[in-house]
Amino acid sequence: MNNGRATPLITAVCYVRVAVSEPSASARFVSDIFGLQRVAEQDGEIAFRSDDRFRTVSLGRDLSDGASVGIEVWDEAALEMTGERLRQCGFSVKKADADECRRRYVQSALLVEDASRNRIDLVTRPTRSGRRYFPPRDAGIVQFHSIGLRSTDHVRDLAFWRALGAEVSDWVGDIAYLRIDGLHHRIALHPSARNGLLYAAFEVEALDQIMQNSYFMQENQVKIVQGPGRQAASRQIFLHVEGPDGLIFSYVNGMAEFGEKPRLARQFPLTSTSLCNWGSESNDVPELSANAL
Amino acid sequence: MIQLRDVSYVRLGSPDLESAENFATACLGLQVAERGKKDLYLRSDERAHSLCYSEGDPRNQTVGFEVEDEVSLQEAAATLESLGHAVHAGSAQEAEQRKVKTFIGFHDPSGNHIELVVRPEHSSRRYFASRNAGITGFSHIGLNSTDPLRDERFWTQVCNARVSDRIGDIPLMRVNAIHHTIALVRAPQAGIQHINHQVETNDDVLRSYYFLSERRVPIVFGPGRHPTSGARFLYFKGPDGMIFEYSVGVDEIEDEATHRPRQFGFEPSSFCMWGSKPAGMPLPNK
Repeated sequence: MNNGRATPLITAVCYVRVAVSEPSASARFVSDIFGLQRVAEQDGEIAFRSDDRFRTVSLGRDLSDGASVGIEVWDEAALEMTGERLRQCGFSVKKADADECRRRYVQSALLVEDASRNRIDLVTRPTRSGRRYFPPRDAGIVQFHSIGLRSTDHVRDLAFWRALGAEVSDWVGDIAYLRIDGLHHRIALHPSARNGLLYAAFEVEALDQIMQNSYFMQENQVKIVQGPGRQAASRQIFLHVEGPDGLIFSYVNGMAEFGEKPRLARQFPLTSTSLCNWGSESNDVPELSANAL
Repeated sequence: MIQLRDVSYVRLGSPDLESAENFATACLGLQVAERGKKDLYLRSDERAHSLCYSEGDPRNQTVGFEVEDEVSLQEAAATLESLGHAVHAGSAQEAEQRKVKTFIGFHDPSGNHIELVVRPEHSSRRYFASRNAGITGFSHIGLNSTDPLRDERFWTQVCNARVSDRIGDIPLMRVNAIHHTIALVRAPQAGIQHINHQVETNDDVLRSYYFLSERRVPIVFGPGRHPTSGARFLYFKGPDGMIFEYSVGVDEIEDEATHRPRQFGFEPSSFCMWGSKPAGMPLPNK
């Protein structure tokens, strides 16, 4: 994973910046319903915390420089190297200016696009907060955990992530679970007819919180896209819920570690039991369903 | 004092043994141990049977508890008779029907039919489930009570049950280290309120939720978690309206000497800390 280096190139998925039609309505969903802490608003972007980072989610109406996913890079040297590697693979790389860095609460960044035109920010030194995370309700959120990305060109997108040092842990059909640290995956690439963020997942303390949130959503008539369920490959328990504009936020818990021992990525068939071995199904989001594509 | 060691079996009357068998195997996941003309014996663990359906009135419901030996059984009979309970000494044929060495039958103060048994049969072959529900064994029952305060006194003073926790006036009582073996439920008449089987993992509870929902088995409560015992649970309805429960992770009482029953308020969250609400299943009334 470290490509022969002593340290990895990328270390974490550190934020998602999402474009929505009505930021204030979406913000109510993210804080009052989902349970993230609203912390700041600048340049029309509303920022939320989920852990000790300054912010992990931003909502904006018309993000002038586009919605994006933030990936934390080890250091400046690693940032340069990732830029170089992506250029060699034929991806365009742009250095963020001071204003773009300020909007992202980071020290420096490369703004890049994968083959599906998902915007990825490779960032160094994302801002942390000195105060503890204090959520508006007891949803049990521990940290921003992982993302699902829609991919229209999964071969080239895989090349993109491999250039950054990510490895495939397992496959479900052509869905690739990508690992960038000791956990099974932090990024899931889902073949899709379009690009964009599929879901942003937040780890909760235990199964208790997954289930409590599930009943909370039912009581508040929030749409549950899928779950409670459990992924076969990663053993992760999940609950995908939908906010305004089809934004999917997820509670997750219990993802397996990849383990020290190298192994080949395992292929699971694209069936509903691979996606959820408890038996939950997604009817409306094709990327989460075995009947899709 | 009558020393109950464990719950042993449940006997249920049913007008339709075929439906009972279908449900027990295709939905609940028990193993058919033996089919008699008028009896269906089902296994859930290493015991030769833990549930028996007999052709008859579904209001015929019996719970069997195991006691130490025949001496204890005779002492229990004497105790019960001295308290004015009519005691029926089981015949050899009745004992054979129950796959036990000897037994006595009586009614608790609410009128529930209880049997005390000696040497219930174990099976020499391991339990092999009819479906992959993850059942590890028959574990406890919910028992109707027309007067929980009076019945708590019966189970804890005449018998050896101890209260582990209370929700309002409703006691959850243990006869061994397991958090509860008898859960009293206030009801207008005697009867078994639910029959619990333990399963291996959380996964089994959730899988069964989707599995049974798909088969249109009425889910009456859960998936949920009891804050009292810590168990994750699912209640669903079987033949003749009987409620079955799967649960996993029932606490054990670690220190018998120092355990004090906790008092929980009589409110929905005392029955489920996840937020599920009973539907089609009465909660114990206050």
